[in-house]
Amino acid sequence: MDSHAPPLRKARNPIPAKAGVGLRFRHHQEVLESRPAAAWFEVHIENYMGGGSAPAYLDAIRRDYPVSLHGTGLSLGSAEGLDPGHLARVRKLAERIEPGLVSEHLSWSVVDGIYLADLLPLPMTEEALQVVCRHVDQAQSDLKRRLLIENPSTYLQFRHSTIPEWEFLVQAAKRTGCGILCDVNNIYVSACNHGWDASGYLAALPPEAISEIHLAGHTVRQIDGERTLRIDDHGSRVAPGVWTLYAEALALFGPVPTLIEWDTDVPPMAVLLEEAEHAAALIEEAEIGNSRALAA
Amino acid sequence: METAAPSLLDLQRALHQSLVVHDDRGISAHVAGGGISAGERLDIYRNTLAGALTTALRLSYPAVHRLVGLEFFKGAAGFFIESFQPKSACLDDYGDEFPAFLSDFEPAASLAYLPDIARLEWAVNRALHAADMEPLDTQRLVALAEAERARVRFAPHPSVSLVRVDYPADLIWRAVLEKDDAALSAIYPSAGPVWLLVERLPTGVEVRRMSESAWRFTSALCDGRPLAAALDEAPDFDAPALLADHLATGRFIDFSLNETTWNLP
Repeated sequence: MDSHAPPLRKARNPIPAKAGVGLRFRHHQEVLESRPAAAWFEVHIENYMGGGSAPAYLDAIRRDYPVSLHGTGLSLGSAEGLDPGHLARVRKLAERIEPGLVSEHLSWSVVDGIYLADLLPLPMTEEALQVVCRHVDQAQSDLKRRLLIENPSTYLQFRHSTIPEWEFLVQAAKRTGCGILCDVNNIYVSACNHGWDASGYLAALPPEAISEIHLAGHTVRQIDGERTLRIDDHGSRVAPGVWTLYAEALALFGPVPTLIEWDTDVPPMAVLLEEAEHAAALIEEAEIGNSRALAA
Repeated sequence: METAAPSLLDLQRALHQSLVVHDDRGISAHVAGGGISAGERLDIYRNTLAGALTTALRLSYPAVHRLVGLEFFKGAAGFFIESFQPKSACLDDYGDEFPAFLSDFEPAASLAYLPDIARLEWAVNRALHAADMEPLDTQRLVALAEAERARVRFAPHPSVSLVRVDYPADLIWRAVLEKDDAALSAIYPSAGPVWLLVERLPTGVEVRRMSESAWRFTSALCDGRPLAAALDEAPDFDAPALLADHLATGRFIDFSLNETTWNLP
């Protein structure tokens, strides 16, 4: 498969290399009324596919902030192919919102036309890689936009996997020209769950493909005694170990648009802005580090 | 024992079985161990899926949830999810079979009006999320010849639903969501059927009662029956005034002309 560049539309409101916040319904009104100091917002595509108040709020908010669209339902890893109806709905929203970035996941959710409402793990095989690349190609040429694909949190691995996850991402980006949304929390969670080297994972990714970073909270679930699994539930502040890994990522990739995500028990906007400020401070440090390196 | 590597499609079908009906036979041999069993790992995904779908149902059926309580709701949702899974990633569209499911759900039989509340809530959910559509330009109707007007078949706005319920579901629904116990205890559940129009207006979703004949006339129009036929079914009230209200409110988005000539009996 050759790497080929689909005809891309230039983003009208590009996402800056600053800290943004995942926008959820409870904050719609507040964002319009008090204009919080987030550099940009990201929304879940599937929450804005109908009519009524949700897309009306988004229309208003995008006039003041750069907006990124994040999908959870395209199911890039489905063996049976993309749902053309769903892809059309994504395109319609992207045409309406003119987002700075559009992203999806390295996972699957649909089989036999049934949507299993989760980001399910793929076997890391050549077959799955070809399926993902075919669907990324299809989505990029349909949307006329470059897609970013995000590494998932996983709680199991398949015995017949032959490709490390980071290599799978590198290959997908190389073969399709897509970007990588590097979810640092997901790398941390999966590395803990599977005994991977999180720093090595980051170092394996091509810096030029990293177009966005996600940060979120996770929990530690006790299976019994000493056995635990870390669960990516987006329900708390970013963990200290994830902040450390994020600083490593910025040192490798330079300043990258970074999003604070929070989906379970969404807190007041002020809490999200505190988390975003922390990320912004680390981006600033990385910028200083970068210019020192250039001056040296 | 070596297990042959499954195709991606077979693996995804096996995971579907595992997550929805807890049958791990097709999948567990393909899951790597590492000190934690395949079943324990799959439980994480089962919990996430059940949680996401239960939340989707809770958002669409908030009054049903309040009436039965969280534990009962989760239990009912668990059984529902085993039989009905989403057909698209738009979870706002998930759960249209829930009212019919509740009618046959034995543990809920003592709350006879529960399926009616669910029917109303589904209509409200549809109204909330229906696509934005421009209302019908009435000048197009004015331009028709008199004979053509009788043949008009309207296309309703997707937010409009007509719901007939055996119990006063509108009163119960409102009192439950407003946590108004006084209003709830003043409702006489066996007062007889009510006929409801549910729609999204610029101010929000509206649920209003209609007379039975006004409801039948409106239903006939929304079902795409020709105007003359709908008028025939509405002899005892001011149908033209109601039609004018429908048009002014934007309840229709388009029309076509019935091809066959309507023969009066």
